[in-house]
Order: sequence, then C-alpha cells, then structure tokens
Amino acid sequence: MTHRWWGMVVALGTLVAPSAVAQVRTVNGMVTNAQTGQGIAEATISVQGTRIVAQTGPDGRYSLNAPDDTLTVVFRAIGFRSQTDTLLMDVATADVSLEPDIFKLEEVVVTGQSTGIERQNLPNAVATVSGSELTRAPTGTLESALQGKIPGALIQANSGAPGGGMQVNLRGVSTITAGSDPLFVVDGVVISNEAIPNGADAVTQAQAGGNPRNQDNPTNRIADLNPADIERIEVLKGGSAAAIYGSKATNGVVIITTKRGQEGYPQFSLTQRFGVFSRANDLGRRNFETLEEALSVYSDTALVTSLFQPGRTFDIEDQVYGREALSYETSASVSGGTAQTRYYVSGLVKNDEGIAINTGYEKQAVRANLDQDLADWIQLSVNSNVIHSRSDRGLSNNDNAGTSPYLVFPFTPNFVDLQGGPEITDFPLNPFERSNPIQTFSFLKNNEDTWRALGTVTARMNLMAKPKHTMNLITIGGVDYFNQENDFVSPPELEYEPNDGQPGTVVLSKSSNLNLNLAVNGNYTYTPESDDFQATTSLGVQYENRSLDATRVLGRTLLSGQENPDQAASLSVLQDDRPVQDLGIYGQEEVLLFDRRLLLTAGVRADKSNTNGDPNKYFVYPKAAVSYRFIQPFRGLDEIKLRGAYGQTGNQPLFGAKFSPDTTGTIGGIFGTLPGNRAGDPFIKPERQTELEAGFDAQLAGGRAELNFTVYQRNITDLLLEQTLPPSSGQEFRVFSSDSELRNRGLEATFTVSPIQSRDVNWLFRTTFFKNSSVITRLSVPTFQTGGFALALGTYQIEEDSSATQIFGTEGKVGDATPDFQMSFSSDLDFKRFTLGFLLDWKQGGDIINLTEYLYDAGQNSVDYLEPLVGGLARQDSINAGFTSAYVQDGTYLKLREVTLAYHLPEGFTRGLFGSTVRYARLSLSGRNLLRFTGYRGLDPEVSNFGNQAIVRNIDVAPFPPSRSFFFSIDLGF
Amino acid sequence: MRQLHVLLLLGVLTSAGCSFDETTNPNSPEPIGENPSRSDVAVAATGMLLAFRTDFADFALDMGIIARELYRFDGSDPRFTAELLLGPLDAGGEAFGGDHWADQYAAIRGGNMMIATVPSSTNLSDAEKSATAGYVKTIQALNYLMILNSHTQDSIPIVTDTAVAAPPAPFQTRATVFAHVASLLDGAVTDLQAGGAAFPFALPSGFAGFNTPANFILFNRGLRARVAVYTDDFAGALTALAASFVDVPGPLALGVYMDYGTGAGDLANPLSIDPQQGENFAHPSLETGAQLQVDGVSLDQRFVDKIVPRPISSNNGLTSDLGWIRYPSPGSPIPIIKKEELILLRAEANIGLSNLPAALPDINLVRTTSGNLPALGDLGTPEEALNELLYNKLYSLVFEGAHRWIDARHYGRLDSLPVDRPSDVVFPTLPIPTDETLPRQ
Repeated sequence: MTHRWWGMVVALGTLVAPSAVAQVRTVNGMVTNAQTGQGIAEATISVQGTRIVAQTGPDGRYSLNAPDDTLTVVFRAIGFRSQTDTLLMDVATADVSLEPDIFKLEEVVVTGQSTGIERQNLPNAVATVSGSELTRAPTGTLESALQGKIPGALIQANSGAPGGGMQVNLRGVSTITAGSDPLFVVDGVVISNEAIPNGADAVTQAQAGGNPRNQDNPTNRIADLNPADIERIEVLKGGSAAAIYGSKATNGVVIITTKRGQEGYPQFSLTQRFGVFSRANDLGRRNFETLEEALSVYSDTALVTSLFQPGRTFDIEDQVYGREALSYETSASVSGGTAQTRYYVSGLVKNDEGIAINTGYEKQAVRANLDQDLADWIQLSVNSNVIHSRSDRGLSNNDNAGTSPYLVFPFTPNFVDLQGGPEITDFPLNPFERSNPIQTFSFLKNNEDTWRALGTVTARMNLMAKPKHTMNLITIGGVDYFNQENDFVSPPELEYEPNDGQPGTVVLSKSSNLNLNLAVNGNYTYTPESDDFQATTSLGVQYENRSLDATRVLGRTLLSGQENPDQAASLSVLQDDRPVQDLGIYGQEEVLLFDRRLLLTAGVRADKSNTNGDPNKYFVYPKAAVSYRFIQPFRGLDEIKLRGAYGQTGNQPLFGAKFSPDTTGTIGGIFGTLPGNRAGDPFIKPERQTELEAGFDAQLAGGRAELNFTVYQRNITDLLLEQTLPPSSGQEFRVFSSDSELRNRGLEATFTVSPIQSRDVNWLFRTTFFKNSSVITRLSVPTFQTGGFALALGTYQIEEDSSATQIFGTEGKVGDATPDFQMSFSSDLDFKRFTLGFLLDWKQGGDIINLTEYLYDAGQNSVDYLEPLVGGLARQDSINAGFTSAYVQDGTYLKLREVTLAYHLPEGFTRGLFGSTVRYARLSLSGRNLLRFTGYRGLDPEVSNFGNQAIVRNIDVAPFPPSRSFFFSIDLGF
Repeated sequence: MRQLHVLLLLGVLTSAGCSFDETTNPNSPEPIGENPSRSDVAVAATGMLLAFRTDFADFALDMGIIARELYRFDGSDPRFTAELLLGPLDAGGEAFGGDHWADQYAAIRGGNMMIATVPSSTNLSDAEKSATAGYVKTIQALNYLMILNSHTQDSIPIVTDTAVAAPPAPFQTRATVFAHVASLLDGAVTDLQAGGAAFPFALPSGFAGFNTPANFILFNRGLRARVAVYTDDFAGALTALAASFVDVPGPLALGVYMDYGTGAGDLANPLSIDPQQGENFAHPSLETGAQLQVDGVSLDQRFVDKIVPRPISSNNGLTSDLGWIRYPSPGSPIPIIKKEELILLRAEANIGLSNLPAALPDINLVRTTSGNLPALGDLGTPEEALNELLYNKLYSLVFEGAHRWIDARHYGRLDSLPVDRPSDVVFPTLPIPTDETLPRQ
C-alpha cells in the first residue's frame, strides 16, 4: 500500500474526479487502530466507482463529501489492512477500526517494470525491507543495513575498512566468471555499483604474486546512497521474479524507492547521532618468554639482545587500529505539499571515524523529490540527489612488498617498539620487515573522493480513467553520474619506499561514470463492473547507456612533500574506457480472477547489448506465474496462498569479453604490442538463468503469525567460462560462451509471529532460514582451478558434478565456501514508550582459506605457535607435509548485527521542552555487530581478499580488521 | 483507445529496430593481422621482446634461488624459501613451480603471428621481410632456450599454430627441441644474410652494435654456441663462436642486453632492490667459495663488485649477511649474452674437446680482467679444469640467469650445490605446468 502506484492512482483519481458529481451530504467519522484504539492519521477513504477521496487528520477524523446514495466505501491506511463498508443513504457517521497489516499483505509489490500487485496475490517470494527497518541501527553503507533481513541473500563485507566494499549474493552462485552483483534500480533508474581499484597495488605489488586479480580492497558505489532517504527496498531474487529486467537480472534486482512528500503541512524530522567505532577483534602475537626463545626465531643476536626485555611487549595492532574517535551523523528532512505540488527534501552529514590511524568515511548528501501535477491527467516527478563521499582506507589485503600491516605483523615480534613521530622521519625502522605500519598509516594517503549526482524525471500520463478502463503511460529519464577521484600518495620517506630504487609513489585516478536511462512504459487495466477480475497489460521499452572511463596516472620517485604526479621522475598512464549500450523491450499480461484469488501472469522481454558478440541480436526472456489464495481452508489457518513461478533472465558478458586485447608496453621508448594472454569470444552472449520457484504463504492464528516457504531451482546455461589454455599456446585463457551448466537448489522460509498485541505491548518476532546448494551439472572444458594463489595454499576447483564453490588443496577437496545454511532472528518489542529491537545473523558453515594465519605461522609469530599438535608449528608441518586443510577453516558465525533500545519521550514532556510543534521525540541507543560468536581464527569470517567475486571469495589475506559501532541518537519530528 | 495501443506498439517496435554500431575495443589494439603495415610489424617485433622481458628477471631470481646464488626473504611470500628450496614444486602455481613457461610461449606466439602475417605485407621489401624472419626466429630460439633451461623433461611442445584454442601441440623430447632451437638459429642466419642493410624496425638500446641484420648474426651465433655447449657439441660451439662477437674488440661486458627503465610504459628492473633494506640476499657460499685476488687478501673482484655486507638476517631457517647489487638502478639492463660468457664458452668447448691448453688463455683473461685473480699456469686435470671453468662462470655470470644451476646440471654436479637445511633439495627442473599437462590427459 505504500507503493508509489497506489499513491499515484489515488492522486490521479482525485484530480480527474468529475466536478459535476452531486455533493449532497457529508459523512464524518474516525478511523482507529483496532489494536490500540488510537486514531490513524493519513488514512484514505474512497468511494468505489467514483473519484471521491478523503483523508483523515492527525487524530484519525475525517469528513467525506459524497452523493446522496448508497455508497461502497474503502478505508485504507499504510500499515493496516483495508476495509470495505457499505454506507446506506441516511448514514452520516462511520467509524471504522482497521487491523494492523503486520505481514504487509496489502503492500503493493513490484511485478513488472511499472506495475505491482498486492502482496497477498504475489506469485514470487519478493523480499521487502522498509525504510524504518533499514535505519534501525546506524550504518555506514546501504548493504550492511540489509544484512540478515533478506532470506536468500548472503551479504558479506569484504573487510572492515570504512566506506564499504560488500557483496550481495542472492540465491547462491549464479556465474563463474561474469558479474555477480545484483542490478540496483533507484526510482526506476539503473544505477552504478562499480568497484574501482584505488591504486594501492602500486605499493603492495599484490598482483605480482601470481594472481592477476585486483586486491586493492575497493569500495563499491552503491554505498553512496543515504539509507534515510529510502522508503523501501524490494529484492527480486532470481529469474522468475526478475525476468522483466532481462539480461541484467540473473543476480537479482534490488529495487529502491525513495521517500516522497504527501499533501499537508511541512513535516520536519531530524536525527542526530553520536557514536564510536571500535576494533572488534585482534590476532595477537607470539609471546617470547626468554631471549633464547626469541633468538631461535630471529638470527640477529645483537639486535634481538638489544631489544628483548622479558615481560616488555608492544601491542602494535592497538597502536595502528586502536582508535576510537567520536563519529556523528546528522540527517534531516522536510516533506509536505499542496494538492498539486508535493515535496520531500533531505540532507545528510555523516562522519565515521575509522579504527585505524587516518582512516574514516564521510558523506554529505542532499535530495529533493518533487511531484507536480501539471494537469488533471499528467504528473511530473523530479528526483535529484547529490552526494559527496570520501573515504580514507589505509592499506590492507595481500601484498608482496611488506607494506600491508597484517603482512608486517607476522614477521615483527612483539618486543620491538615501532612507535615514533610526530615527523615522518622520527619513526624507528622496522628491523624485521620492510615497513613500520605506524609510520605507514600516519603518512600514507589512500583517499577516495566521490561526487555523485542522481537525477530522474518521470512523467505519468493518465491517458484514460474510466471505471472499467484505465490506461497510463509512464516515461522515465534518469541520469547517474559520478566522478571518483582516488589519491594514493606514499611519501618517499616511508621505510619501504626506497626498496624498489624509486622512493615515493603517487597514483592519481580519476574515474567518471555515466548511466543514462530512458524508459517508456504503458499499462492498460481492464476491470469489469462486477469487479471479480482484473487484467493489466503492460508494454514498454528501455534504453540504457553506461559509460565508465577511468584514467590513472602512476608516478614513481616522487619529490618529498609533493603529491602531484608531475613531481615524480617516472610516470605511467592507464585508461580504461567501457562504453555500453543496452536496449530492451517487454510485454506483460497480469490477470486476477475469481474474486482476486487467482493470479495469472505471463511476460516476455527481449534485450540486446553491445557487450554481446552481435550487438544487434535480441535475447528473449519469458516468464509465467500463478498464485491462488485459499481463504480459511480449515480452522486455525486464516489464509494460504499457493504460488509457482517460472522465468528466465540473463547475465551480460563483462565489457570487453568479446575482444582479444594486446599487451602493450615500451622498451626504452620503443613501443611494442603482443597478443595478450586473454582471448576473447567474438560470438559471446549472455548467460541464461531458468528459474522455477514454488511455495506458499500462510496466515495463521487469527492474523498473528505468518509462514512463508519457498523452494527454487535455477539452472544457468550458456555459462561464460574462462578456459585455461595450455600456456604453450602463448595465451593463458579464453573467455567464451560455453555449453556448461550450473544448477542451484535452495529453500527459503520465513516465520513471523506477533505473540503480543495490546495497547501497551507489541511484539513482533521474525526468523528466516535459507539454504542453497550448487552443482556444476555440465562442464564443457576440463576441470580447472580458479582463484587463490596456488593449489597448496587452497584454490577453487570447477569440476563437473561438484559444488561450484569447492575448495581444493594439495590433498584434494578441503572445503566449500557455500554456507550449510543461514538463519536470522529479529525481534521488535514495543513496551509503552520503549522499543527494543535486535537482529541476529547466523551463518552455518562456509569455509575460508585463512592465509593470514599461514603468514603468522610462517613468521613463527602466531599466538599459539608452540602449542603442541594444534599450534602454528603443527599447522606449518601439516601444510609442508601436503595438507592444505590446515588453513581451510570453518567460517560459521553468529553476529548480533543490530540492537536498539529507544525511548519515546512523553508528549507532555516534549511539549514542555520544545513547544507544541514537536510531533515526537525519541532517544535511542543502538549498536551494530556488538557481539560475535565464531570459531574462525582469523580477524573476521566476513572476508574477501579479491573483493566482489562470483566464486573466489572467502580468502583471508591481511584484511582490514572488523569494527563494532555504538551510537546514541535523538530523533525529533515537528 | 485502440489507436493509443497501436501508437505505443509502434513506438516500441521502432525503438527495437534501432541499430547499435559494432564496437571496437577502445582500450587496446587487436593482434597483428593480414597485410600488416610497417608500424604493425615494428610494434610486433618489440612485442616479442616485451613478452620475453616479462619473465627474464624473474627467471634469474627464482632459478637463482634454486642455483643457490641468492635468497629472497620475503615475509609476504614464504614460498621463496619453502617451495623453491624445500619443495614440493607446485606445477599448478603460476608464480613458482609452474612458472617460466607461459611468457616465453607468449613471445613464441607473437613470433608465429608475425611469421603468419608478415609475408603478406605489401609495405615491406623482400629484404625487410627476410630480416624480420631472421629476427623472429632468433628471438623464438632464445625463448625456447629459456624453457629448456628451466625444464629438462621430454615434454616440451614446439608450437606453430596461432589459432585460438587450437589443440595443444604435441610434447617433444628435449633433444628434439634443442635440435629445433639450433635449426631456428641456423635458419635465421640465412634469412638475416638476405636481410639487407637494416631491420624495418628499431631495436632497443640493449641491442646497440647488434641492431642490423649483419651484426645481429653475431648475437645469433653467440646463442648458437651456447646451445652447442649445452648439447655437448663442442666442435659446433667453436664454429658458432668464430662467427660470433667473441673476438670483437671491446670490454668483456660487450653484448646484448635486455633494457629496463622508468619511462612511460617501461618496466623497472625488478632485481634492482636496495641491497641493505630489500628482501634479496646473496647466498653465503658465494663468500666462502670466492678465491683471493692477487693481493692475497681481497676476495675475487667480481664478488666485491656485486656483493655487499648487510646486517645478518634469517628467514625460515636460512641466514645471510650479504646483499647484492648487480643491478644498481631501476634502469640497469640485464645481459642476454655477453662477451665474457662467450670467452668462457670457448674455454668450455675446448675443455670438452680435451684441449686444455687452448682453454687456458680464455680462462686467464676472465680471471685477471674480471676477478683481478692471479693468472693460472695450467688448468691441471680435466676435472680441475672444469672446476675452474665453472668457478669463473659462476662469478662472471652470477644473478644473470642461474648459470650456476644450469651448468651444474649439465655436468651432473647438482649435488655439489650447497644445501642449507637438512630437508632442502636441489631440484633439477621445474615441473611441466599443470595447465599444460591437464589438456593432454
């Protein structure tokens, strides 16, 4: 019911109401909450068959001018189930109490590009998350606010670095080499979620170690969105629900709807938060009891003797990552409007101080969403959003130059003191490794500064509005432009800098991305007078132009104190240009039959793209779905809906997959090119996912409980593969559309119960369950290994009839990155003026390759190094004897993602304090990731050295350590 | 209403009919094709060297570790002190066990693409095409030789097909591949002799003195002599040397070098690392094995020039207090073949032919010029002569491509290389990469 289409239909309805209707009488009344007896504000009262609408005031009272006739009146309010009453001719008062819609059965959920349907008829398991659920506990980025809230989603941070870097994975592995991120759509416009490397590789030399994948620990750009602006998020998890998004929807579609103004006086809301981030975990180092023990590891007798003092140790993890500075967030919004003009304007200023020296994340954002009725049949909506974000992320992840802190700690004993300063030259050299992380973090700059503008113009034309026929045409034009500047400066005085003979490194990257969207959608709905069925026909076309252009200048031998690449003796330049054009057309028919109990849907989408081998070939994606509601089939079961859906989607090849690029370079100024190590496929085409989904939604116990259950199977065909070629061919691999196939099967269940609903106490408890397993059902190339560093250090093996995420070591299969299952438990308890909410996120299983521990052990510096049989020495012996399993570890975790305790100040008190203008005032304490239970021995079981990856995740190499946050908030509404 | 439907349908169909242009790669050229331009040929010629250079320094580093010329104490990657010295060599790992293969074959592929396309060019004269062919074959031979140096198995493919995803070329015996290398080099001489006065492309400055078809033959014959010695064809080696630059006037360092640099798109010499702070160390046996200079006190001048003391350091049970400074700056070139080696190859060939007196002046020339060591009166027994030769090859060519290992293997003396830890091994070869063996199973 919160969905935009209802608002639009209602708004348009008001406008096109024939002015000639006789207004003979007035009906007055009050709409109340059936549970609490309190009035409901902003409820709508509409007279069926007419365009007459009224709205309740803040106290729930309304006044309706209506013809002097028997009326069928529908009462609706956000968050409540609607009610239809017949008012006889002589009735002048009608009080109605509405039941809370705890399970959002009347929420309109998206089923097409511009159509939706009430949840009670929905044929798919579409997850929705409301704005209030998103912002319960403060979060740096949008994806982290979704963790644990969507059954079927695995949402994990790649590291603990401020500013994001997370992957969202819906319903298991959907590809091996193509993109794995879902499609993000904001107010009808596809926006970018690029993760652009920051250039740290110039210092870490991570890619020099035999794995060409970038290991810079980049952020991804969806993090820019302000969660407070979001009205709600709908997640289409797979092909059956997302088919209408065609060849970009295999990884699911995350549809974000931002807040809009409502007619009425300006309503201000203000949230002020203060809090702190603190380190959630550390690894510690070996404690050397005696000088002899220290000398058994470190050979420089004179050095060790001069440093070692029994009992004197230094906690370098705390010295680098022990920062707990005050973070804050201020967000404010105002909304309101007249009958013709409605607005929502918001602003955000946020500053998260990182746990490491010189790290943090800042964001400022403003948004204005305007709706203007130009005529009684046309409405124009303009959304504009400007965001500035800035992150400072230090160095993390793999490294081959002794610079990334968790690669330095393993080789630096705890008896050496590396503290120094304040000047860059005042730090002691680390005699045991090539860098002093305290010096590095104090003076290295790894800054990412992004300006982003999102703009949408939507015109909704009501071409026909008759009782039986409605037709509208919706055109959307949208722009998402960002300019990301990465400034990476490593001053020449840093200890490691002179090692390559070129002291001082600067990497200046400027990346701009433009997403242009243009869509035209037409919808025609036929509703016969009997109102027992409804048919909606939709037809539309969408054009999208994405253009990413990244330029990078790398300078070495940098003058002291300079940050401009001009001041470097040696320069190299890189440009990456990715222009993409997509065009899609679709048609869809949705029919509600048998008193709106049966829903039948069929649709088809055809897409073409210049990422495909043939840029003008259309790929066709059909879908079909059915659902049927049984009302009270037996006692105790209020309603059960059986549903089944089928659909296909595609996954586009990555840009450039059809090309065979040359490798280029110069030797003493002479330019050269040679056939590159990757061969493209000139006939490349999108992967195709075919998903079958079936399930039921049942309301139990008199509307107190709901059970959703879904099983699905998705087959992915035409898998894009990177076939490793015999290197003697002169090329290492080719990317091509193969006839290989991947299958996922899974189960999702949600049980929601509201055991207590009373005037004083309301309690909602929800638990979700998700299990997925994948198997490569057909592999047209020989078994191959991907990701990781070498078989001996754990790698992923792609093999027919095996899980797509199996981990192999020297001895054979040693694990699987896919979790056994995931569960979450959330609870919202309102007790009088208090609200207590929490969210527990449990991932069972899912193995991780813990190379950070391998490094500590190799440095003989792990806390448990000497522990017999299970310690670091034992693990080293084990891997040296050919057992990779020593470092492949269970990544099970249970995290308290969110906990919030809020207190709503009594009205009398707020009135005394702020005057009568204040609508509400709330104080809250909230925490994110406060508690964590895991047997995993690394810093955090949420880890991915290679960033967002389809398969090659769960590899732990010197990540940025995780943090927990704790915030105090004041919310005011006036 | 029907009209609206029709209108909308028409609009959708019209937009669906609009055509996208065929895109070309905005980020990179495509590989060389039919009728190449002069510039296509020129960049492809340099491209072969680029591919070769990708691994050239890394070969000297990794194989230098197996040769016990050096250590790399790299905290970030313990495999430098584990996999290469202790094993097991991981045929699936692209950085160590499975390395020193793909880049050489990429250069060979680059050459095969040139062989397939250059003859069709209307932009080059026949002499220029011939010169190009001689260049391509010589550089291909150099790359095959690198593969043979790190792999001793009878499982080395000779590749001529340039089709993408062509069936893997069959494995050949080591002898066959050596014969192929010899024939490439010999065929190149014929091509170069018909190659006119100049190549249709510029060669990097490391080829100064060897950058015309005529004097490129001097370089080619140097490589041919190395191949002959490695295959015990000592008479053939002397023949090849006679046509090489062994007697060209100039310093012992005269030769063909791989250039490095810090210019745009160039590659800094990865072996140029701070000898005091960096992660590379010299093997302690270089100090203990060095002979004394004429003053009877100083160690071999070659040791003094290339190796510097540094604070003792240890890693994974290995210890060294020696840094090395063979390549002082990021722009220092690495020799591909130099006159000093040719002189020693001539001595080696003469020793192989049991002509010790003929070997003596060459060995003494290197001893006195490079090492500042006293000249020897005679070379003693054949065994002693070989020891003396290998000593000089080690100190003259150390850090330049693991000659210590290649020569020790050639003479069955791998067990003479020092091992530092009880379970350490001197591997005679790298395994054939998994990616190479799997597709043939």
